[in-house]
Order: sequence, then C-alpha cells, then structure tokens
Amino acid sequence: MTPRPKNRRSLAAAPHMVWAILFIVAPLIFVAVYAFRGQNGGFSFENFAALGDYTDAFVRSASYSLIATVICLVIGYPLAYAISLASPKAQRVLIMMVMLPMWINFLIRTYAIMKLLEDTGFVNSVLQKIFGEEVTLHMINTPGAVIFGMVYDYLPYMVLPIFTVLSKIDPKLGEAASDLGCSKIQTLFRVTLPLSVSGVVSGITMVFVPSISTFYISQKLGGGQYLLIGDAIERAFGNPEKYSVGAAMSFVLMLIVLVSTAIMNRFDRDNAKGGVVV
Amino acid sequence: MTKKARAPLLSKVYTFFIYFLLYLPIAVMILFSFNDSKSMTNFTGFSLRWYKELFVNGKAFEALKYSLIIALLSAIVATLIGTMAAYGIHYMRKKALRRAVTSVTNIPMMNPDIVTGISMLLLFAFIQLILGLQHSLLGFGTLLIAHITFNLPYVILSVLPKLRQMDPSLSEAALDLGCTPVKAFLKVELPAILPGVLSGAVMAFTLSLDDFVISNFTIGNSFQTLPILIYSMTKREVTPDMNAICSIVFVVIFILLLLSNLSGGENRDRSAFSEKLRRHKKGIAIAVAGVLTAVTAGIVVLFLLVPPRTEKVLNVYNWGEYISDGSDDSLDTVKAFEEWYYEEYGERVKVNYTTYASNEDLYNKMSSGAAEYDVIFPSDYMLAKLRDEGYLAPLDYSEIPNYENIYDEFKGLFYDPDERYSVPYTYGVIGLIYNGAKVDEADVTGWELVQNEAYRDKILQIDNPRDAFGIAMYALGIDVNTTDPAEWDRALQFLSDQKPIVQSYVMDEVYNKMESGEAYVAPYYAGDFLFMYENNEDLAFYQPEATNFFIDAMCIPANPTRDDETYLIANRFINYMLSEEPAVANAEMICYASPNRTVVENEEYQEYMADIHEDAMEILYPEDVDFREEYGKYCFRGLDKDTDKYMNGLWDKLKNTTTEEKTDITNYIALGLLVLIVAALVFFAIRKKRRERYYTEKAVAKV
Amino acid sequence: MGESVGMNNEKLIELRNISKSFDGEQILKSINLDIHKKEFITLLGPSGCGKTTTLRIIAGFVTPDEGEVIFEGKKINDLPPHKRNVNTVFQRYALFPHLNVYENIAFGLRLAKTPDEEIRTRVSEMLSLVNLRGFEKRDVTSLSGGQQQRVAIARALINRPEVLLLDEPLGALDLKLRKDMQVELKRMQRETGITFIYVTHDQEEALSMSDTVVVMANGSIQQIGTPEKIYNEPENAFVADFIGESNIVNGTMIKDYTVSFAKQVFTCEDAGFEPNEPVDVVVRPEDIDIVPLDKAMLTGQVTAVTFKGDYYEVIVDIDHFKWMIETTDRVEVGQTLGISIDPYEIQVMKKSEFSGMFGDYSTFSDEIEHLSDVETEETK
Repeated sequence: MTPRPKNRRSLAAAPHMVWAILFIVAPLIFVAVYAFRGQNGGFSFENFAALGDYTDAFVRSASYSLIATVICLVIGYPLAYAISLASPKAQRVLIMMVMLPMWINFLIRTYAIMKLLEDTGFVNSVLQKIFGEEVTLHMINTPGAVIFGMVYDYLPYMVLPIFTVLSKIDPKLGEAASDLGCSKIQTLFRVTLPLSVSGVVSGITMVFVPSISTFYISQKLGGGQYLLIGDAIERAFGNPEKYSVGAAMSFVLMLIVLVSTAIMNRFDRDNAKGGVVV
Repeated sequence: MTKKARAPLLSKVYTFFIYFLLYLPIAVMILFSFNDSKSMTNFTGFSLRWYKELFVNGKAFEALKYSLIIALLSAIVATLIGTMAAYGIHYMRKKALRRAVTSVTNIPMMNPDIVTGISMLLLFAFIQLILGLQHSLLGFGTLLIAHITFNLPYVILSVLPKLRQMDPSLSEAALDLGCTPVKAFLKVELPAILPGVLSGAVMAFTLSLDDFVISNFTIGNSFQTLPILIYSMTKREVTPDMNAICSIVFVVIFILLLLSNLSGGENRDRSAFSEKLRRHKKGIAIAVAGVLTAVTAGIVVLFLLVPPRTEKVLNVYNWGEYISDGSDDSLDTVKAFEEWYYEEYGERVKVNYTTYASNEDLYNKMSSGAAEYDVIFPSDYMLAKLRDEGYLAPLDYSEIPNYENIYDEFKGLFYDPDERYSVPYTYGVIGLIYNGAKVDEADVTGWELVQNEAYRDKILQIDNPRDAFGIAMYALGIDVNTTDPAEWDRALQFLSDQKPIVQSYVMDEVYNKMESGEAYVAPYYAGDFLFMYENNEDLAFYQPEATNFFIDAMCIPANPTRDDETYLIANRFINYMLSEEPAVANAEMICYASPNRTVVENEEYQEYMADIHEDAMEILYPEDVDFREEYGKYCFRGLDKDTDKYMNGLWDKLKNTTTEEKTDITNYIALGLLVLIVAALVFFAIRKKRRERYYTEKAVAKV
Repeated sequence: MGESVGMNNEKLIELRNISKSFDGEQILKSINLDIHKKEFITLLGPSGCGKTTTLRIIAGFVTPDEGEVIFEGKKINDLPPHKRNVNTVFQRYALFPHLNVYENIAFGLRLAKTPDEEIRTRVSEMLSLVNLRGFEKRDVTSLSGGQQQRVAIARALINRPEVLLLDEPLGALDLKLRKDMQVELKRMQRETGITFIYVTHDQEEALSMSDTVVVMANGSIQQIGTPEKIYNEPENAFVADFIGESNIVNGTMIKDYTVSFAKQVFTCEDAGFEPNEPVDVVVRPEDIDIVPLDKAMLTGQVTAVTFKGDYYEVIVDIDHFKWMIETTDRVEVGQTLGISIDPYEIQVMKKSEFSGMFGDYSTFSDEIEHLSDVETEETK
C-alpha cells in the first residue's frame, strides 16, 4: 500500500491563496467587523441604524444606475448588433474604437462631459451660434446629466460582451431560421436575441455594478447635489470617526451588488440550460 | 433587394451617431488643449502653451513616473503569482477546493471598486491600530499591494483558459522525455500558455495604470499617481493643462492599441492568434522587447528629468493653489527654498509638497495619522482645535528671525495667545463674488443675495460645513461660535431653504464656474475674487457687514518620529517663506492679504495688485476696518466636540436629503422600469412553464 | 491465465496485483501481466476497461494504489516518469507547438545535454526511420496527422528507451493512413528491437500487429495470448464477442466432446468440464455452412440479408435465437435455411460474468462498437 502521492503541482497556487486570504478575505472581514462594531466596541447594529440618513442616496444610486443600465442596453445592443453585421475588418476597427474610450481614465471622460454640458459649455456655445444668444439648454447639475455620465462612461462594458456573443453565433443559424420561414426581424427576435442572452447578462452586470457604486460622476455632473452612495462612502472614509458608518454602507452596497449579480447569473444559467423561446 | 440594402445603411447611420457621441467629448478636449486661452468654449487661437506648462510644472511627470513604476511592479508580481496560481488551480484535483479558490479570486472583480478600496483601507487601518503605530501605513507599499490584489484575478483568468486549451499530455510528454516537473513547466507548458501570460501582464499593467478608485483609498499622501493627480486637479480649479495631459494619454493609448491591433490581430480568435504568434515569433519578440525597453527607458528618463530623492525630505501640506509655483513666470518658492537651503547650508532638501481642499480634510488626515507632515497651513479655528488636541509642536522662533516682519496686530490672537505654535501666512475675509453683467446691483445688499430666487441655479455655496453654516449665521445675525443647537437648527433651515436654488456646492471649482459665467453668485474669499477677476472682468466683490475674517498660519505638526534636523528644516522653511522675495511672490500668486510688512510695503507688489484690479489694495487691506476688532467679533473659533458633531450631523442631513422641490422623477422612472422588467420576466417564466407542461403532458399521454 | 508468447523469454516488466481507483471508482482490479523483451504487446479493450491506466502506470504518470511495478527486477512504483527508461507516444501526439520538427525530436537529447553533433546524427537517423527527411525546419502544426504521428514516434524513440508506450497512436488517423502506419510501426519495432506496448480499442489493429494481445474489460484482464489464440479460442463470452463477430449461445456440456445447444446435440473438440455443466458456446458466423434442408443440423427463417461486398451477412431466426451467418451464397429474406457446424468450429467456454450479455443479433445491437467509437479519456 503506497501512500497517495501529494499533488505537488497544485502547490503552485499556495502563494496566491495566502495572498488572497491576507488581502481579499481579511479586508472584507474588516468591513464586516467595522460595520457591526458599535461605539462601545461591542457588536451592534447602530451603524446600520445610522444609514437611515442615507436612504435618499441609496434610492438615488439604485434608480440612476438602473436607468443607466437600461439605456446602455437599449443603445448598446443595436450597436453591438450593427457591428456584428459589418465585415470582419470593419468589425475589428469598430470594436477597437469602442474599447478606446475605456482606456481613458474615467475621471478624464467625466470631466470632458462636464465641459461639454455646462451652461457655458461647448454644446451650448454651438447651440447659441446656431439659434442665437439667448438659447441655453440647461443640462449640467441635473439627474439627467449624472445618468448621461454613467451611460457614457460604461456603455463600452455593455457593447463588448454582447458583441463577443453575437460574433460567435453561427451564421448558419440565421440561414436555418430564414429557411424555416423567419423574416429578418423575426430571426433577430427568435434566434439571435435568445442566443445572446449570456452577453446581455454580463453586459448588464458590468454596467450596473460600477454605476451603482460610482462616485465622482455625481460630483462633477450633478454639482454635488445628487449625492450617490459612492460619494457618501468616499466622504465617510475621509473622516476616521465615520469609518464604521462607511463600512456599514459598503456592506449594504456589497450585498445589493451580490444579490443582483446572483439574480442575473441565475437568469443566465436558466437560459443556457433551457432556453427561453421568445 | 432594396430592403436588404436599407438595413445596413440604417445600422451604419446609427453606428456613426453613437460613435460621434462617444468621441465628441474627447475631440473637444483635444481641440481645446491647443487653445490659446483658458476658455473651453471659444477657440481663440492655436497654441502649445498648455503642453509647455505641463513640462515646466513637472508634477505631471512625477506622477506619471510613479504610475509607471507601480504599474510595472504590480504587473510583474501579479503575473508571477497569478500564473503560478492558475497553474496550481488547473491541476487541483478536489473540485470543491478549486471552486473555493476561484470564487475568492474573483471577488475583486465582482465587488465594486470602492468596496475593494475601502476594505483594504480598513485592513491597513486595523494593522496600524494593532501595531500601535502613530503614522498611517498608507504609502507606496500599500498601493502596490492593492494593485497586485486587483490585478491577480485578471492574470489568472487570462492564463487559465490557455491551460485548459493546452493538450494535457504536453507536460506528460516532457516528463516522459526526461524533464523534471519544473523543467517541464518552463520548457513546454510556459511556452504553450505564454500568450495568456503576456495578455494577462499587459492587462494588469494597463488596469494598474488606469486605476483611480482603489488607489484613492490606499495611496496615502506621500506621492501621487497620474489618476490621483488628475482627480486632485479636477477637484480644484481646472486649468487647460488637464486637457493637455488627457490628450497625450489618449494619443499614446490610441497608438498602442493600433500597434497591438496591427501586430497581434484578432485576439479573440485564439487559435488564429497563437498561430500568428508562432509565425511571427521574431516580430512579436522584437515588439515585446521594444515595448519593455521603451517603458524602462521612459522610467529612466523620468528619473533623470525628476531629480532623485535627496537625503532630507520635508513634507509640506498646503491648500491647493496656495503658493507661488512657478507658473506664468512667477517664482517657484518651493524650488527656490530648496536651492536657497543648499546654498545656505550646503545640504540638499527635497520638499514633498501636497495639497488639501479644506480645513476638515487637513484635520481628518492629521487625526487619522494618514501621513506625516512637517509644515501645515491650518486656518485659525482649525489651528486652535489641532493645538488643543495636541497635534502641534511648538515652533523654534530662534530659527525664525523673519517673524519680526509680521505686523503686531496679527500676533497673539486667540488661537495662539502665547505665540508658540504659529506664524501667520495670509489673512482675509469672505464676501460675495457676483457677476456684474448678470446680477442687478440693487440686489447686492448683503448675504440675502444667496437666497435670491432670481438667480436660481446660478448660486454656488461653499462645500464645507463651517463656512456654509457661517454664512447662514452671519445672515441671520447669530454668533458663529454658538453652542446652542437651536441656533444651529436655524442656520440649517436657512441652508435648506437655499438648497433648491443652489447650482452646486463647491470648493475650488468655484473659480471655473464663476470665471466661465456658469454661476453668478458665490460666497468666497476676497483674495480669490481678485484671482478670478483676472480671467473675468465682469466679476465684482461685495463685503457684507458681518462676515468671516480668518487667518491661515504656518505650523509644525507634532511628530515624535521626526528627527531634529527635519524639525530644524521645517522652521527654516517657515522663516524662508517670511522673507521678502518669496513672501511677495506668494502674495502675488494667491492674491490674499498678507500680514507681512515687507509685502504690504513693497511698491512692486502694490503695482502688481493694482494691475489686477484698481481697487485691489483697498479690497484686501480696507483702511476703515480695524482688523483686530472685527476679527475678534466674527472669526471662527474652535467648536467643542459636541457642537462640532452636531454641526456635521446637520450638514450630512442637508447634503443627503432631497429637498421637496428637487424630488427626482428619476425614482419613478426607475420604479416603472423595474416593474416592467419584473413583469416581463414573470410573463416569460409563466409562458415557458405552460409550454413545458403542455409538451410533457403530451409526452406522458403518448406513453 | 494463458501463457504469453514473446520474441524472447526474458521478462522486462512485471505488473503484480496492480489496483487503482479514481474518485472511489475502481479502474484496475488486481492486474497481473508480464512483458518480455522485444515483444509487441497490445492492450485491447473498450474504453473504460483500464488499458490506458495500465499504460500510464508503466509510464509513471499514475501511481498504483496497490501492487508492484517491476522493471528489470526492480520495483519502480515511486520512480517519477522522467527517470524511467520508457517513452510514450501520446494519443494526440502532444507535440510541442512552439518547437519545430527538429527541436521536437531533439528535445530529450537536449535535456540530457547531448553534444550538438550527436544530436544532429541521431535526429537525422530518426527522421529517416520515420520517413520524414527534409522536414527538419517545418512547424509541427503545419504537418498532417500522419506526419505528426511520425514526429511523435521519432521524438520518443530517439531516447533509445527500453520500452515504447503507444496510447491509441492511430486513433486520429483516417482508415487508409491507419493501415499504412500499422505496417510502418511493425517495421520500426522490428528494426529497433524495442519493446512496444500498444493500447487500442481496435481489435483488427491488435490482431494484425501484435505478438501478444491482452484483452481487458472492467478493469480486469480477460485473456492473454497470441492473436490466433485469442480469435480462435476465446476464453469467455466477452472476448468472443469483442474479437470479431460471434454467435454465443447457452449450452450444456453433456460429457467430454459432446455439447448440446439450440435443442440439438453436437460433437465438439473441448473437454474437461463437469458432466452437464452449463457453458457458453461460440460459433463464428463465417464457420457456419449453409446446407440443403435435409442435411441441416439446424433450420430457421432468414430475417435479414445485408450485402457486405465480398459476402452476405445473413440473420437467421433459429428457435427465437438470431444467428449471424456470413456466406457467399445468395439467400432471400423469408426463406427457410438449413445450416451445419463442424465439430472444430465449436468453441465451448466456461460461464463467466459476461454470459448472456452478448450473442443474439436480434436487434443488430452494436453496443460494443458503439462504446468504443466514442473514445473518451479513460483517466481524468
């Protein structure tokens, strides 16, 4: 009876496992520790009770990011579809051009939008040159501007996964569908769309998560008036006395993200297995 | 046939439109980086002045240097650990273990960046607490750890698929032919997964270069990376050299992407990619070597450009835009100090100069021990608070002979009655800055202007509780240092009433908004008014009866770990700033009133100020105001802990609550969308169930 | 178990009571096997029978749970693969994609720090052995399957191993190429004098190439013997069915040389059973003669006729048991057929775990072929 040999190769993962425990798991434990630690040091929910003051910020973050995600989907899906119709060479260029803004820091992108949308910004100055001096479209410092910022910053995250899935769909499927009597539009809705659900799902997750947790966008485009939960967290962590409340906010944010991701993934898996016939 | 042709056309138009929107902001930004003037709306002429500014300034390059170092180091370490990890995970036999490891690995990818950032901040804060350290751990090390951590999953995820694609017998073949397991990995498996390793490394490098959110919480104060610098720049007055930086970044990335696209081809098509990789092995090797050399050379050049760290470092923490920094041919007083010090004492000193936006920021940094500073510039009430809480070290006045340059009326005030801790730097008054072309002079009668409905959405408010409440209290005639909660509640009411018509709450953004005409009314400092007036001559200043007089002073924070020599240098730094040449340069740059007689009595200075605004000297140094008396009446004093807490609570309430008039319809839209989505999902789920039941029933019937 | 017939009687590898389980499933059940020098031995069986695991145990990639692996008299259970004088040709070749043909073949020599000059001569020897002269600088991914196969063999042989292990090396090739490579492999084995241990699920391949065939099923060895012996004298129903086509019917050994099946008594050449012992009786389809009805030992109705090129495959229902007969005579469906079987064509086997699982052609069930066509990894 020889002992089973040790699996030495899997030991290569050991440094990473140590690292992950120290710098991924432990920090998250500290979020929980700070969130559940009362002022007297014991276990308490008082930090969560204090979150009542931030209800508005939570609700606002949730609704802005939901709207932004839906807009991204509505704009992004046709774009991804249009790109997938192009010739392979054009596809490469177009996709590169979608990715390019992603490589520019989002601070810069947001700042550029601010400069565009201001009452005295580029858009208005162009409008004024066309329609006369007194025309001013008030865009900056409105919820719309904040949502526009989210859409602008995160649109590529919607387009890329959808395009990846669309480009992998066997073109013969479309032929088969039209052979069976589908019109182009029907093919889109009955074959292409259901097949690209996994791309849509990951697109939604990739837009929703950064949108709901963003800060800075609302500072620049909302004039600091439409405080989002990300801003509230950032603010809290500027002040050591508020670490606990900030940790509680982060904890709740993490839960929201976790639950919504889990729901989305589940939806994806359902479809991968069964397939919804639309 | 026509039908077929129309759909692509439609899609082309649509695609073009979206790309137009996508690139419009970037194009505008690049265009205006070449603008001759500061304006972002009118192109007044082509010029490279903002690019020049960038080079002269040097800050951007220093930040870029740190960004590159962090990105390179974190990419290398993450690639090493990550490749090993992917290898280990691939060969893990226990499924449960493998799943556990991969899900933990994915956490930083799934989690919002901000949560990852603060979780690491909490970890480091906790370690600091446990070790009983005085100063924060945040710095180069913690930033590097954070970057490695969020890079790891990307490396692992790009290596794992390559391992899965790899023929499992490859490594066995190597073992079979006489390789030891390690050799088999190096000689056979590594070459097979190399494309994955490389793309993981490149991804890690770019992600790290680009990261702002996580860095923001883990970087500390000793240095800045490029995104952090950009953040601090957009937080303050935004100068067009921002556009210049961004344009450079954009063009570099554009070229890199173009190159990688030309050489690498379609990365998605894996087999084709590896095929190409093999075919163009030499080309790729040269390209990789080229990029590596370029990056290394870049770092070396940056090191040469930016003088290396010298023995002694003096950490100076000042307000943003609160010193003469060499722009517009002025004297760079920090650099001048370094040179002066070398000539005078024969020793090199490196001033590490960082900035903050509010007294509260400064306080938070001090109380969290987030960084060690040697010279700070708190305002009077904050100075008193810091002193009371033991955060200040006494100055060595024997090293500050220039203290005699300060007028006596600025000595021995409430915050430092025994003249032990501080030397006044500037002083001033808050007033109303308004746009004379838009605001009716008749409306400018006092603080009530900030509540004037006529200027709805054109009014700015200061984004910090002490000043904002102060304005409300001056308007209401309340003592700004009151400890009566009811009085604070009244002030809150004033601010809540004002909130619906406020355009935004700002600190340093005020410059841009006022200069560009984006806003018409802003309570702000007299000195800043002059600064803005230089760029927009429509602006005017009004000083209400009751208003805040303040003094900003130089202090040395208490720091037991600081050595005597640094303490000496800090004192000498303060002394230097009081001498005529730098003091004048600073006063000309900041435009605040100076308590320094060598400045006020300097004719060149008087002319310079008159050049900016004919009444500049009168605005800054009003003759009919007895400073000491007004100051005693209206200055902010340190608030006791309870009042301070109460005020901050009220402020949070103000900022977080949506006022009725601004209730978002977005909430209703979102709710509607949510209902729609849920309804659609339920509909489809039910239909699917029904169809399934239908055909399973059929099937059962058949059997 | 049966005797092994080697080129030479010196034992090279001995497997003693080898057992192996993966995830609680027993893959090998106490395997005993001797492998002799210069022997071409084939492990034959359907997928999942444990043949590849046996091979990997010899190569050193898998350590047995129990039992001993003995190489030239020394136990080598724990010797890592790179220290064993054994080389493998992998199922999908496992050529190193980042190296060209020359470097792939030279890989082992480079590891051993062999001088360049010697590497060059030995690689070119190998290239001529596998008929690939002039391919030195070619990229291995640009080669055809057969060429890749040859490179894989050359790469393994250049180390001059005592034993070459071949794991279904021809599985990925098309039929024509496979036939050619079978001949080539046999030639190479003769020329080099190296022991070949060959794993396949293709019985024809096994029979045509091997000195010794080891038939495996369910983790056990079913029979070891020369191809002729395996074919003509299968030891149990599994072997009979797996090797070629067989009619396997229940019978009773009345006494020595007399067996009854299909309600008839036949004379046979087997002896050594208990009186009236139940047995399995094998009759190969090609060994059944069609005779006029009056001379028939058995009669039945033709239910199907398939044209197979040089013969017809006829299914005859004899008392509700479907017999397969291969014949060159033309028969019609529905026709009543008389058959006769000579004594030496009857193979009597003891009952085994496989009895009753095979033999009836009533459904044309190709279960075994079907199983072995879906070639899945035996060890994961």
